[in-house]
Amino acid sequence: MSNLEKYDAVIIGAGNGGLTAAATLARGGAKTLLLERHNIPGGCATSFVRGDFEFEVALHQLSGLGTEKNPFIMRKIFNELGVMDKVEFVEEHHLYRMTIKDEFDITLPASWKGIREVLIENFPDEEQGIKDYMLLCERVVLESFMGFKAALKMNSEDMLMKNSKHYAEYGLRSAKSVLDKHFSDEQLKTLLAAYWCYLGQAPRNINFVDLAMMLYAYGVFKPWHIEGGSQALSNALLESFLEAGGEVQFNAAVDQIITDKSGDKPKVIAICTEHGDVYETEQVISNASSVVTFVDLLDTDELPEGISQDFKSREIGTSAFCLYIGLDCPPETLGIKNASTFMGTTMDEDLMVETMATLNPPVATMLTCYNVDDPSFAPPGKSQVSLLCLQYGKVWDDVPVEDYADTKYAFAEHLIEQAEEFFPGFRSHIEEIEVATPLTMQRYLNTPGGSIYGFIQNPEDGEIHRPRYDQVEGLHMAGCWQGMGGFQPTYMVGQSTAKAVLKKLKAQRLAEQDQTQTQDVKEPANV
Amino acid sequence: MSNQYITNKEQLLSNLVGYVESRELIAEREKIGSDFSEDKGKNTAEIAKLHPKRLNLEVTEIFQETPSTKTFRVRSARGALPPFQAGQYINLFVNIDGVETARPYAISSCPTHRDYYDLTVKIVKGGFVTNYLLNDVEVGQTFSATSPIGTFYYNPIIHGKKLVFLAGGSGGAPARAMIESVLSRGVDADFYLVYGNSFAEDVIFQDTFRALAQKHENFHVMEVISRPEEGYEGLTGYLTGELINEAVSGVDEVMFYVCGPTPFNDFCKSELKALSVADKRIRIECNGPPKNPSSIQNWPTEVSEEEMVTVKVRGKGEFKAQVGEPLLNSLERNGYFVENACRSGECSLCRVKLVEGEVFNPPEAKLRKSDETFGWVHSCVAFPTSDIEILY
Repeated sequence: MSNLEKYDAVIIGAGNGGLTAAATLARGGAKTLLLERHNIPGGCATSFVRGDFEFEVALHQLSGLGTEKNPFIMRKIFNELGVMDKVEFVEEHHLYRMTIKDEFDITLPASWKGIREVLIENFPDEEQGIKDYMLLCERVVLESFMGFKAALKMNSEDMLMKNSKHYAEYGLRSAKSVLDKHFSDEQLKTLLAAYWCYLGQAPRNINFVDLAMMLYAYGVFKPWHIEGGSQALSNALLESFLEAGGEVQFNAAVDQIITDKSGDKPKVIAICTEHGDVYETEQVISNASSVVTFVDLLDTDELPEGISQDFKSREIGTSAFCLYIGLDCPPETLGIKNASTFMGTTMDEDLMVETMATLNPPVATMLTCYNVDDPSFAPPGKSQVSLLCLQYGKVWDDVPVEDYADTKYAFAEHLIEQAEEFFPGFRSHIEEIEVATPLTMQRYLNTPGGSIYGFIQNPEDGEIHRPRYDQVEGLHMAGCWQGMGGFQPTYMVGQSTAKAVLKKLKAQRLAEQDQTQTQDVKEPANV
Repeated sequence: MSNQYITNKEQLLSNLVGYVESRELIAEREKIGSDFSEDKGKNTAEIAKLHPKRLNLEVTEIFQETPSTKTFRVRSARGALPPFQAGQYINLFVNIDGVETARPYAISSCPTHRDYYDLTVKIVKGGFVTNYLLNDVEVGQTFSATSPIGTFYYNPIIHGKKLVFLAGGSGGAPARAMIESVLSRGVDADFYLVYGNSFAEDVIFQDTFRALAQKHENFHVMEVISRPEEGYEGLTGYLTGELINEAVSGVDEVMFYVCGPTPFNDFCKSELKALSVADKRIRIECNGPPKNPSSIQNWPTEVSEEEMVTVKVRGKGEFKAQVGEPLLNSLERNGYFVENACRSGECSLCRVKLVEGEVFNPPEAKLRKSDETFGWVHSCVAFPTSDIEILY
């Protein structure tokens, strides 16, 4: 082991949370070191090159940006992070198309008014329910940001019931129960619940506010993607970090978080990398999973009690099986008219969830084609799509390693068959294909079971029930393991965590200055 | 104080419909759940089953295949080696006279053999590492290596039922693995090997291929010698379009795998293009950095390969390097380690950021678009055409 430099803060992992944390710290004047086990920044927000294609790995629809005229929070955050002038955002014009075999095939536009019109046109008998539901979505979402937060801050029951009564009444109910309350048509309910895929849990197991949030955020503030893929934004965040004087090491996994255990609670003093390099620091922000951070990296003999207690009521969330496909034709050749398509053979929610825990043919898949809104995503005349289903990593526990390749190709065939059904001719246009299983996700994300959204997000796993960990002095989490998964939440949590650390560092500096000044005064007396 | 607050907060939140039920659920789950502490090391172990970061290998047997080629059979003291897809390679780390470097070698044995990998190495004129391996390495020597990696393999989803491998010289190594794998798994496909060599005595795995062709109706081998001795009775010349067309009918349904020295690969590609074979039906294995980068289009004509430039590594030091030498090689010769595997521009493990100066990126560099924007290059195929500063 060699003892090297001292840093104000060290970030473990250059995923979305790690990158926004790193950029925030460095731009805030902290001496910051970013350590990444892989050769490239981004974590999920990355790309890889095969043949003529650079495949987007994980970003399907970026939320929270808003338009220039009607900006939303991510525009402000990306400005603060210094990346708005480094990347181009591309607006998508549809929320999604959802098509269920023998049931329905409906496309929702990326407009709040437009969604309402399409829904009423397709389900005229449910007009009043549609209007009520959408109004409720809007109210619950806005209240969750404003009225509820204010009431929480003031600790006021009056304010809670007065300014966030819809949130109080419906926010934490299951999405399914609120859909059931408003609609009788199963098709309509299935259509409106499509975004459960981005949360990894069935509608009966997600909070209504989370589903409402997505419909509202994408509907009002539009879905976006990034020119050059999410890798471009990861690279831009890193650039912003480096410009501010941050230091980065790739191919440098962290092996251990070293603590001083003499006090009431362990206190971070240093970290050690896989190469045996030790860096002194009192502030570590981990973008690794909670499980890896506390079970594998933290040097205490036992898990801190509060952590252990929290973990006991947690389960590992879903991973995904994903095909990255380069097509030798433009999207329109196959009738792909919008970026995001949810496809399925059933509206049975239980069956969808059960299937995620098996190697049976998936009943719900998603196809994203970036070229619809951005032809630069593939060489002229070609296009790239990602075709995926959610799947739990444990499915692969029993597959012998020597059967791994055959098993993954066999499962990939199921997905292609489903795509073929909705987009006839699909298979014959495949030019490049790369198969990623939950084990691939595990390899690149280093998460248990290859989880892509962190712990399972049951209603009881929401942030409201899970206080931020403070059991280890100087160890902070920034990723999807203590909140929601996905791009916007992880970008945001990285920044807010780093802001809190900056505050601490500043307070520390002031305290030290005070001390030095006091000493300065004392010293002449001693002489 | 804080307890008081929490009680109040809980009280406040209990007004939210569903809140209390969730708290109760959490309390219940806490009683029966695990805190994952028994999973220490599990993630790493699970990943290492398929993709360990490093393999520790020992040479247990050496076979002289031809006068110019040896096969090194390597094993791990840990037993079974990771599975791989036939056609993939490992990157072998070597220390030659104090220089730490590495070279990728295709595994020539079939993936069904999990207890060893065969690495088949053919002499390369002036080859720094091949000369060392062929002349100095004996049984018992140990190496560190990456786990198997690479994108040159049979993909059952899209490669179809007619597979043609155009191999040149050492390209026979991945060809053997791929052919044995396809045949032993009973894949429903016709497989043709067209194998070009300069000299008749240099045909690697000649007996193996001939025996397989005898045994399997769906495998066909054709040997082609470009510099035959007098009296040689087999096919002679190069792997021309005409010859390929004769060997295999219906080339528009074929998936072609091309692996050999770079000039061989380039020749095969142009012949296949002339036969109107679509790009997507030609898979060419990458094969190291270009030997004469200054002959490539867009090379800055005012710079010669022999010139010397200064390479500064931010925070670490600086050294003099020759323009015509790949940056990764000069870094290694000056004692800087950069992770790497394919050494051909493809895998991106050796990515470094160009902070100052210019490098030449040949077409071999499969850069991500945004890497280009922000100055990240693949050092294994980057040529410094001015004084540069990098960071990694």
